[in-house]
Order: sequence, then C-alpha cells, then structure tokens
Amino acid sequence: MKLQDVDVAVIGAGPAGMAAAIKAKEAGAKNVVIMERAEQLGGLLHQCIHNGFGLLYFKEDLTGPEYAHRFIEKVMDTGIEPLLETMVIRISNDRAVSAVSKAVGYINFKPRSIVLAMGCRERTRGALNIPGSRPAGILTAGTAQRFVNVEGFIPGKKIVILGSGDIGMIMARRLTLEGAKVEAVVEILPYVGGLIRNEVQCVHDFHIPMYLKHTVAQIHGEERVEAVTMAQVDDNNCPIAGTERKIECDTLLLSVGLIPENELSLMAGVKLDPITGGAIVDETRQTSVVGIFAGGNVLHVHDLVDNVSSESELAGQSAASFAKEEKPLERGKIALKRGRNIRYVVPHTISGQKDVTLYMRVNHPEETVRIKVGDVMTKALRVVKPSEMLKIDLSTEELKRLGKETKQIIVDCEKREGR
Amino acid sequence: MSQLETEVLIIGGGVAGASIARELSKYKVDATLVEKGNDFGQGITKYSSTIMCQGANVLEFRAEYHNSRLVWAGMPLMEPLCKELNIPFKRIGSLELIKNQAGMRHPEKMMRRFSEWNDKYLPEAKPLQLIDRETLLSWEPNISKDVIGGVYDPNIAINDPVRLTIALAENAKQNGINVISETEVVGISCGTEKFKVQTNDGIVKCRFIVNAAGEYVSKIAKMVNADDFVLYPVKAYQGVLDKKLGGLINHMVLSTEHGMVTPTIHGNLFFGISPRTQRLGRIHDHSTDKKLADTALRHAQELVPDISARDIINSFVGFIVYRNFEVGWHECTVEISRWVPRFINASIGFPGICAAPAAAKEVVELLVKEGLKLEENPNFNPYRKAMPIFSELSDEEKRKLIAKDPRYGHVVCRCETVTEGEIVEAIKNGARTLDGIKFRCRPGMGRCQAGFCGPRVTKILARELGIPEEQVTKKGGRSRHLLYRSKELLEE
Amino acid sequence: MTREETIICVGCPLGCEIKLILSDRDEEIDVSGNKCKEGKQYALEEFSNPVRTLTATVLTKDSSQPLLPVRTSKPILKTLLRQGMSIIAETTVKPPIKMDDVIVPNLLDTGVDVIATSDLRS
Repeated sequence: MKLQDVDVAVIGAGPAGMAAAIKAKEAGAKNVVIMERAEQLGGLLHQCIHNGFGLLYFKEDLTGPEYAHRFIEKVMDTGIEPLLETMVIRISNDRAVSAVSKAVGYINFKPRSIVLAMGCRERTRGALNIPGSRPAGILTAGTAQRFVNVEGFIPGKKIVILGSGDIGMIMARRLTLEGAKVEAVVEILPYVGGLIRNEVQCVHDFHIPMYLKHTVAQIHGEERVEAVTMAQVDDNNCPIAGTERKIECDTLLLSVGLIPENELSLMAGVKLDPITGGAIVDETRQTSVVGIFAGGNVLHVHDLVDNVSSESELAGQSAASFAKEEKPLERGKIALKRGRNIRYVVPHTISGQKDVTLYMRVNHPEETVRIKVGDVMTKALRVVKPSEMLKIDLSTEELKRLGKETKQIIVDCEKREGR
Repeated sequence: MSQLETEVLIIGGGVAGASIARELSKYKVDATLVEKGNDFGQGITKYSSTIMCQGANVLEFRAEYHNSRLVWAGMPLMEPLCKELNIPFKRIGSLELIKNQAGMRHPEKMMRRFSEWNDKYLPEAKPLQLIDRETLLSWEPNISKDVIGGVYDPNIAINDPVRLTIALAENAKQNGINVISETEVVGISCGTEKFKVQTNDGIVKCRFIVNAAGEYVSKIAKMVNADDFVLYPVKAYQGVLDKKLGGLINHMVLSTEHGMVTPTIHGNLFFGISPRTQRLGRIHDHSTDKKLADTALRHAQELVPDISARDIINSFVGFIVYRNFEVGWHECTVEISRWVPRFINASIGFPGICAAPAAAKEVVELLVKEGLKLEENPNFNPYRKAMPIFSELSDEEKRKLIAKDPRYGHVVCRCETVTEGEIVEAIKNGARTLDGIKFRCRPGMGRCQAGFCGPRVTKILARELGIPEEQVTKKGGRSRHLLYRSKELLEE
Repeated sequence: MTREETIICVGCPLGCEIKLILSDRDEEIDVSGNKCKEGKQYALEEFSNPVRTLTATVLTKDSSQPLLPVRTSKPILKTLLRQGMSIIAETTVKPPIKMDDVIVPNLLDTGVDVIATSDLRS
C-alpha cells in the first residue's frame, strides 16, 4: 500500500466516502485511499436494515445493507484501497494526515487532496440538559439502532421516544415489531420532524401515540429508567405547569438532531457554517482550505442517502481534478444568501458558469410557496417543510440571466397565489 | 466475603477514604477499605469541581476552622502526590472578578485575610495580587467586559479528583491494603474490644473504624449512636462544556455572586454555581431541575459571555456537605468520636480534595492516639505505574506503543481518542462497568456521550470480564443497559 | 350504510388527510381532501391493498455476526406484519449465506419470500 503517492484520501467509508472514492477513481485519480474507522465499508448503512434507500439513485426500493452493497462492490472493483479500522486523528491545513490502526500502527502521509466524509453524530441528553436522575436506559436512537439491528439486543420493553426525527420514528416501528411497547413519541415542535412516509408507516400504522408541542420534562429512576414526566410546552418551548403526565417506561430513546462531525475539519482550519454545522463550500465542494473537499452528512444533514451519494460524487470528482492539476479549481464568485424562510443553502457560492444543484432547507413549514433564486429562476411548490430537503437545479441557460457583476444571489421562499 | 478480620476498617472509597488507605499503607497495618459502589470516587468526590484552593476566596473560611488548617496543610502535599501517582496536575491560577466599587469589599477582605494567613499558615503560597482592568482583560480577553479589576491567586490548581481517588485506592492496594468494592455497611455493633460490622456481603470484625462515607457519614455514625453532628447536603449544580470552548479562558474565573468557570485538566470548560445559589437538598437526590440549570448557565455567562446552552455536553448536581449553618459552612468533622472509642469520623468538608492528603495524615495520628500500633512498611512504594494516555503521547511514542500492543491502535472512543489498549488496562485495574471505564479513561465523557463507543465498550467489557453483553451495567447493581436479547420479547 | 376511512397520503410532504366515503360493499362513493389526483389514486390503493415491505433481523448460529438483516422480496399486506415477525423470530440461520438468498420461502402463503439483505460469513 503506497501512502507516498496518494492522489485522493477519502475520510470515511459510509455512503458519502464510497461515492466520492469511486467517482475520484472514475475521474482519473490513480491512487485513491479510503480510510474507515469501523471494521467494514458501508458506515451506518449496515444498521439501517429498513427500506427506502435508492429510490432516486437506483430507482429501486432498497434496504441500507443492499444500498451499501452496491457501492462496496464498486469500491472493490475499481481498485480503491480501503484502510479499515483506521482512525484519522489529525489533519493539518496543508493536508498532512495522521492516522492510527492496529494493522499499520501510526501513519503520517500527505495526499494531494482530501475528501471529508465523516458523517454526523447524534445530539445527546447531556446537550439537551433534561432534568432528572442519571439512570441506565437512556440512549440515542442511533445507538439503540446499532444494538437492536447489529449487536442483537433490545434495550427495554416499555419505550418513550423523544423527538420525531426519522431515526426515532423508524426505531418506534422496529422496537414494536421486536415485541416492545412504544408508549409515546414526544415532539417539542408543532410538527413532525421526519418524513411523512415514516410518520404513517412507523407511528400511525402501529397506533403509537404521538404528542406534538410536548417534551420530556423529567427523567425518573435511580439505576434504570422507571418513568418520564411529559409536559406540554409553550411558544418558548418551556414546559407548562399543570400539564405534566408521568409515563412509566424503562427506556428513553432520544431522536433530537444530528450534528455533522467536523472535529478533523476544524483541526485543518476549515471554515464552518454555524447553521449547517458543516464546511462552507463552493459548487465543487471545495472548502476554505485548498485541496480539502467535503460531501454528505459532514457537510449538511441529508434526509435521503441518494442525495448523499450524488453530492459526494461531486466532491470526489473535484478532488481528483485538483490532484491532477494541483492548483485550486475555479472558485465560485457568487455568494448565495439566505432570504425569507430559508434556513440554509449549499453550496455557499457558485461560479454561475455551469449547471448546479442547490440543496436547501426552510425554517418553518409553509404551503403554496415559490422558491425564488434571485432573478435566475423560480419553482412553485405545494408545501415546504424543514424536515424535507429541497433540490433546485439551475441550468447554465438560466444562470445566463445573471448580470456580469453579480456578487450575490438571494434565495427566498415566497408565498404565492394558487394551489 | 462472608467473614473478615481486620485491624482498621475504612468505610468509604471516596477521596477521603482512599487517601486514608494510602496513608495507612505506609505502615504495616492490617487495614481494609470497603466501598459500597462498584468503583471509587463515585460519591461526593465525583462532583468536586476539580479545584485545589486554599480558601482565601471562599466566603466562610476562618483561620480557626479545622477544615482551613487541613486545606492549608494539604495544598503543598497535592502536587508531589499527583506526581507519585501519575495523576495530571496543573497550576492555572484563579481570577476573582470585581464588577464595581461595591464589589471591591470581598476582594479586599480576601487579600487582607490572605496576608494574615500567609506567614502563619501558608508560608509556601505565593501572594495574591490585585489586577487592574487592563491587565485582567489582556490576560483573559474572553471574560465579561463588565469588570473593574480582579484578584489573582497564583496558587490555584486543577486535577482529576476521580482519577486521583482511583489512583490512591490502587496504590493502597498495591502496598498491601485490602480494598473491596460493592460492599455496603448495613449495621455495626460495638463489642468491648472489637466492632462487628454487618455488610451486604458478610461480616467484618475490626478494632478501629474510620467513617469516611461522604454523603452517608451521618448514616454510618448513627449505627453506633455516634452522630452528634448533623450534615447538610447542599445541591451544587455543575456543567461540562464542549472542548472546543477549552481555549476561552486560561485561569479559573470566579465571583462570589456568579460562581465559577474553569478549564478542566482534560481541556473542557466547567462551570459551577456559587455557594450563594446552592440549595439544601436531600441525601442521594442528584436530580437536576430546570430552574437551577437556567440560573447556573446565566451566572456562568456573567463571567464568560460566550458560553451558550448549546455547548453543554453534560450537567449534574453534586453535593457539598456542610457541617451546620451556625458553626460554619466548611467546618469538617475529622475527629475521634466523643461517644464511641476507636471510631473516627472523617467527613472532610469543602473544599475537600486539597484537604484530603492532610486529613489522611491526621486520621492516622488519631488512630495512633486511640491505640493503633504503627510500624513502617519497608516495601511501601509511593509510585503508581501510569496507564498510557494514548491521546497525549508523541507520534513516536504512539508508534512504539502500537507495535508493542496492537490494541493501542484500535481507537474505540472517537471523541476523546481512547484506544482498546487503554480500556483493557482500565479493566485490569478494576473497572467493571461503563462508568468505571468512563472515569478511568474517558470514553463517554466526550461530546457524543457514549453514542458511538457505548456498544464497543460494552463488547470489550463483556469479553474481558467473561460475562454476556447484556449483563454489563452502567454503574453496577440494576443499572443494566440492555434488558433483552433480540426476539426475546416475541417469545411471550 | 356508508362508512368513512381516513388515509394520510405519503406521496409528497403535504400529507393530505384524504377522506374516503365507501358503500357497504367498499365501493368508492366519494374521495375528498386530496390536493392532487395522485393522492386520490394512492388513497384508493392504500385502502383496498395496504402493503408494506417487512424488514427485520434473523438470529444466527456459528457466526461472529449475531444477526442477519432480511426483507420481504415484495411488499405484503400490512395486517400480516406481526405474524410475519413471529415466523422470522422462530428462524435461525447459519453461514454461508449470500445476499438475496431465500430465508423463509412464501411467507404466510403470500407468494413473497423473505430474503437476506446481506451476506453472512462465519
């Protein structure tokens, strides 16, 4: 394994990393290395045994392991070297990579380009500051998913789920099918945090009570969870006195948000967007550090793995080009600014010279709207929700409408007439 | 255990009990330490805010207090002790912020008291300094700008109290003390020459008892009708902030009104409410509540404005045990019981960590007074071999370590970069639960709070202890993490 | 006698609550609440033939992998999910298994197999 002459080093072999590595190879990079801290390629797809993956990318309805399999086969076929059980512990801002593994010990090398594909982690109870005792039986939904779907354990038999994110709802179904009783799904916002499909097929199908505008105000139990107190919340998300209800349970699952894992990015000096939690990038997925690219959940939290793959292919392709030329790619000169009801837009800058797909999310749900990308184009939509990422394609033709001196485009979500 | 005969029984494996055990191990004494939890330092010790202080900044400190004298005697002992036990220790200094002229009263009092104490009790301590606003803000650009100056105490230091306690217990064991966990004292009867101590795992017969049971000191004393003191548990809300805030301040920053924000030895920031905001609690009730949490955060922001709720990775309520409100908040209870011979109470009060080494010496003197015969232990080894901390090694040291044992190349805790090698070592040294691993080598203390490492640490514990994974607990007893195997619930 | 059924459409993020009014022979009398015609189509199909893909895990023996993930090769009636799980719960598999291997043929006489969604090695 030649680490002397690496064109593209991809950090993470989940769906993002695999797609980036494959594309980098296809785009002509000779020596592509993929570094993964787990024992196998595929990342968290292995624990996502449910279906719903690949509807866009493959036009098939696949489970996580099946989706992973397609990319794993391709990684092996294209001659990419996976370094498994290898953890990158440092990246410098001139692309020096330090990594640790049982097999190769402690290694240092300097690839020509890097793709950050580290994914994200879950928000925790500590971060939520939920009052109460500190018993066993409090898990984030993703960790519970690993135990249930990979390790072979069911955390408890009476479950309360805090948060109506997709992982929480999917675990509601999974645990019910494994014989546990899910007593409630508790959501602090007035609307569901995940996809409609999951709301219907994971919660309503199983007659699990869902409480919107509620939160878990207290956890009870010394050694093991014994109950939680649920309360309604006011417009400031504070529990309303008098609305408390104690729910007996032995497990509390938390599905309250995902945070991109950018510790390595920060070490390398990559500038992050505080809203997405991920790097600030141009349309090639180049970050603020030359030669370092990013894609997938580490850049912004996606809903569909299909989009993770498409986006990461961009990053992989750009990394390969950079490795060949060893000079910065044409940086986007036009900044995309968040307008009305837009939470974020990725990429942050575009060149305006070629086709580009904008990924964005809104701040709050709205019906009968129009997404307006400056003077470039508009797209009418029946409904927008924060939980469903929007993809807006801009063609070179449409981009021609921009004035030569345009420095920024404002992206708005406007109300419109009609249906 | 069923039946055990020993000379000295130490009840409680917190920093007090463990220090006493280690001190006794310098002599050829048949001593036993029993701890009711499954690891050491899990009671009040765990909630210590990591500081070593000499009390000038603490409102109710008085020169005539026993506690003060123990703290001052303990301060110079702590750094060499940490070195012997291979425990991290860092002298960072503290800054008491003065917001306005009225606020000058306390710092003036502080400095006056310190200069009074300096010659008499604190000869090795560096003097306090009054710092003007400009200097203060140049040292600490990220503190609240609403200050007119501060008092700098260069003596303040930080360490890791739980690791210290575990290290003391290990060193005591290494030097011949019988150290037992998961053993709770449930009753004591007094004979003429011996005590008969009933535990949940058999009977211990001993001549001397040292009551170092922290939160439960009163409960144990009551068992022999020696509870002529009352201890008040006071809830102290504390929070740990993400490591990325670690560089915000370099010194511990405090004010009497707003409590304290300090860097920790591991690079996090830590905040704790001031004694003024602490509230009386109930023994063993460590539950947090929203009001306390919100107040604590607001106060911390008065000191360091850039702290936000988003950066809190964990929070908890610790206890400070005060002797009684009239005598003085800090007065400790390290004394031979007036009512029961050869029974020594060792509740070391607050601040406790820095008092511990001196309290331990004093307890040994008290035991001698009560008739314990001491003979030097020629084999006493003060040094405890350190567990390698992978994340702190140089590149070359990392390489060597992995070459020697490839398990040091397998990173299990990604947030804190802790390897399988370190986890296995911690288990060899006595960790048997997820919390045990957490407190010895950090998995579970990082920003993902065991989200990623939990399943893997569980597997390693199960493998090393030879138990099924579902029997691994968070903190012993009934705190199992995983209650059922796949498909078990469908069998019904 | 007519009866009412409410179906939440999952075709788009709107999640329209579609109300079906049916005759006593479950014939369509009225459909309302949908904001598009695909919604009506979905509601009628979902009412007459509510199907779901069942995904689960199977216990293993003689393998370092404790579980094998499986799925129904095609969606089955949602009313059969729990029963389907019972059958899957009684099954144990041994390596070697390849992705797509049939683990439980013709689940509950639906004509649909339960297949492996990943390999199983020892």
